[in-house]
Amino acid sequence: MIDVFIVGAGPAGLSAANVCAKNGLKVKVVDEFMKAGGRLLGQLHEEPDGTWWNGIEEAKKLNDEAQQLKVEVDCGVSVYNIKKQNKSWKVYTTKGKFQTKALLLATGAAETAIPIPGWTLPGVMSIGAAQVMTNVHRVKVGDRGVVVGINILSAAITRELQLAGIEVSSMYLPGKNIATGDHGNPILTMKSMLKVASLAPSKLIRIGSKLMKSESLHPLALKFYPKSGIKVWGMPVHLRKAVIEIVGEKKVEGVRVAKVDLNGEPIVSTEEFIPVDFVCIAGGLYPLVELAAITGCPFQYVSELGGHVPVHSEKMKTPLEGLYVAGNITGIESAKVAMKQGTVAGYSVVQDLSNKKEAFQVQLKQAIQTVEETRNQAVIQFHPDIRTGRKKVYMSFKDKGLMKKRDFYGT
Amino acid sequence: MTNSRIVHHPILGRLQERGKIHFTFDDNEYIGYEGETIAAAMLANGERVLRSHEESGNLRGFYCNIGHCMECRVTVGNQKTVRACLSLIEEGMIVNSGKKLPTPFKKGETL
Amino acid sequence: MSDRKIIICRCEEVTLDQLVDTAESYRCSSRELKLRTRAGMGQCAGRTCRALVDEIVQKYTNEPTPHDIPLGYQAPIRPITFSLMGEKDHD
Repeated sequence: MIDVFIVGAGPAGLSAANVCAKNGLKVKVVDEFMKAGGRLLGQLHEEPDGTWWNGIEEAKKLNDEAQQLKVEVDCGVSVYNIKKQNKSWKVYTTKGKFQTKALLLATGAAETAIPIPGWTLPGVMSIGAAQVMTNVHRVKVGDRGVVVGINILSAAITRELQLAGIEVSSMYLPGKNIATGDHGNPILTMKSMLKVASLAPSKLIRIGSKLMKSESLHPLALKFYPKSGIKVWGMPVHLRKAVIEIVGEKKVEGVRVAKVDLNGEPIVSTEEFIPVDFVCIAGGLYPLVELAAITGCPFQYVSELGGHVPVHSEKMKTPLEGLYVAGNITGIESAKVAMKQGTVAGYSVVQDLSNKKEAFQVQLKQAIQTVEETRNQAVIQFHPDIRTGRKKVYMSFKDKGLMKKRDFYGT
Repeated sequence: MTNSRIVHHPILGRLQERGKIHFTFDDNEYIGYEGETIAAAMLANGERVLRSHEESGNLRGFYCNIGHCMECRVTVGNQKTVRACLSLIEEGMIVNSGKKLPTPFKKGETL
Repeated sequence: MSDRKIIICRCEEVTLDQLVDTAESYRCSSRELKLRTRAGMGQCAGRTCRALVDEIVQKYTNEPTPHDIPLGYQAPIRPITFSLMGEKDHD
């Protein structure tokens, strides 16, 4: 029997594993990817002081510590089922079944799609796919491409592609249709970009912030939006142009781009063809909750957190006994926050499995406080109202309390 | 696309030397490097197409690159539904693309 | 290419117009839309398109997003071999 089984060797999972191992628990971590680190791998941010935060190095630190602490980290393993068995959990993996007292789900996030005509062609990929191919596998995704979808994630990754010497000709909105939702709306896109103004001292932000002080100026700002786009990190960002089709016979050969009105509707006969060999689709992230869902854990829809999240407390406990969550499965935030959440989850597990429960009160409280501090210092904020979202979930947890086993598995 | 491996990187540094790996994809021979996934090695060889849609025959490549979307699934040896984005190449590996399947019971289509 | 021919579910190649027409006719839940069109039923189990299917349903039902996940998840959540599936639970 394992003390704690952790699904996901990312920032949250590894941080939790290290806390548990330090406190004498037997820990096993699995991850589908061939390397530990989760989506720390590939992230590169320039800090306000000009230094680079390298996710690969951060992942290595966490993993080295895990190795020293004799945490079993097994990569290339998928979990396909979870069942509750008496007082423990049974985890079904592609490399065997495991019985564990505590189960921590740190499965991170998945990408939301933006469907546009031609998006199934080879050469079209999610923006995250391009990040992994470029920074982790070190293979160029193409010679020249475009990014469809303008948001915090796509801006950050586009910069990474440029760092690697890949030409991104422009960032565009997606052509508007029922399923592309707000991504195709110039005004909403501009608003959401301005909320993350702290990310970059770019021209977009500077010009935008001036114009954005008054709501009534939003349409005006876009009306006079430069035809050539506004350059962010040397690359044009177009809020008044949209990719309406990706074209190619056997793979991407180019995109059809049209000017759009303030509502994102294409303006007739403004089309141009731009030859590219790759296209990145950037629809943002949503918590990857599938494993939590099959445990029977209750859920809550919280738009500030990126979608449906398993109900959980500030201590990263779910209403199901022995089931914990940490990282982006609880809501979309930066990797730094995920690490701190992992520490909280780790102490929660340690406390729950300990005979002296009071012993870990201080560490747990401290760890929770650190999450809050890290959140306040975050350079990248995925959602401006993240705190409101967090509160909603903690409230639900209080309402539900620890559910009895029979509530889920009895009848 | 020529030499599409990112050997030099201003922040991540130089790509370390790795051993060559020989593998085949749909009977064509390719060379990749140790530690590369099937999807990465194929892309580095300029090949974006990894399968045809079972019903329509439309071509597909990798999409999410982290095992979620299943678009890059290939056959490795006898093993079907292998995600090219999560599977490392091995010496002598035989990879085959997913092919269009016959749909004999579909209206209007003949065998 | 008309917008309505856009593929929404990549696995089963279900198009926007198929989904919209079905949602319009039946004013149904995401689950029913999935069963009627096969959107979200393919190899990826809806990981790529579930948000899009939910979005289309919402447009036609005008219901707020429910707290229960509209398109449920069933084990196995990853493709596994028959031999793995057939294994008995010994322990």
